[in-house]
Amino acid sequence: MGRHQPVAKTYHPPRQVDWGKSVTRRRYMKRELTSVFLIAYALVLLFGLWRLSQGEAAFEAWRATLSHPLAIFGHGLIFVAALYHTRSWFEVMPRTLPDSAMNPASITRAGWTAAAIASLLVLTFVVVGGV
Amino acid sequence: MSDTTRDRSIRIEAMRYHPDTDSAPHLQTYEVPFRDDMSVLQGLQYIKDHLDGSLTFRWSCRMAICGSCGMMINGVPQLACHSFLRDYMPGPVRVEALDHFPVVHDLVIDQTAFLNKLESVKPYLMPATERALSAGAYNQTPAQMDKYHAYSQCINCLLCYAACPQVALRPGFAGPAALALMHRYNADSRDQGWAARAEAANADDGVWGCTYVGECSEVCPQAVDPAHAINQNKANSALDFFGLRKLLSPREGAK
Repeated sequence: MGRHQPVAKTYHPPRQVDWGKSVTRRRYMKRELTSVFLIAYALVLLFGLWRLSQGEAAFEAWRATLSHPLAIFGHGLIFVAALYHTRSWFEVMPRTLPDSAMNPASITRAGWTAAAIASLLVLTFVVVGGV
Repeated sequence: MSDTTRDRSIRIEAMRYHPDTDSAPHLQTYEVPFRDDMSVLQGLQYIKDHLDGSLTFRWSCRMAICGSCGMMINGVPQLACHSFLRDYMPGPVRVEALDHFPVVHDLVIDQTAFLNKLESVKPYLMPATERALSAGAYNQTPAQMDKYHAYSQCINCLLCYAACPQVALRPGFAGPAALALMHRYNADSRDQGWAARAEAANADDGVWGCTYVGECSEVCPQAVDPAHAINQNKANSALDFFGLRKLLSPREGAK
């Protein structure tokens, strides 16, 4: 455990973290918290897939549940959270990539562009597919 | 317009802890007259010279380059010489020992754990082959130097450790400065030591101990950006896990 050993008697402060202490920490907690909504939505979709495996009636019943006002409200909430998460993630994304000639703002813009193209493709698929 | 009279005063609440007599730190209040050009460090020096000689703190250069006077100032990790009393008016200004470190005496923290973490990342040049002195100096292009220069500016002030929540929660976490210095050497064209550092980097207490709060980079007085150093190495660590790092690396590893 290293060759340096403590020599002095010391006071050990309690190991606790105030997550609301600074702007950076609050931003981090919001970024992490909104990711939970993404998992929630993935679970909704997985549940739908499972219902599909049980036959058409089960799948249609699942679809009917989704049109309940509460479900629509939940989807709205998830959408807002997903948007926030996307923004907060693209903001910090430049520092997850190697130092490069690309400036941080362009990396963030590239993220938004990719997200926009992906959303557009899915939307086209849904509209053309007539789902 | 230099005002040489100390026409204003501010209350400084300093953390006191004496290992022989105290079981926990407490705050002691001092009324300190100051001029507009006085740093928090100079406020502490005024206390030591005129009010209470027993107040203990580290300092040396007074110009934000030695990294000795890091402390919590109103809850924010800062260099005491790099922050001014006038900015804390009307006060009080609370100075405490750096968060997440054992306290030796008043504002002095125990750096032992950090020294061990720093050594664990082998922060020195490790060329693949010994280079004879007669071979002369290494040459580097400005582009090669750019790859590591910002990360070489670390002054070991430990503000990033006081800022990082993961340092508080995982005592073994190598931490921002040590990992940034590891990247500094890995990114140096004269160095081939990444394989020797890989074990420390890939460990749970290495780059993966970081959850990317990013506060280390906010408080760094040298703009080292440890969060960038660490998070770009998560990709390297993942490539290493799948055995791809060796294939993609243009340089051979030193033993």
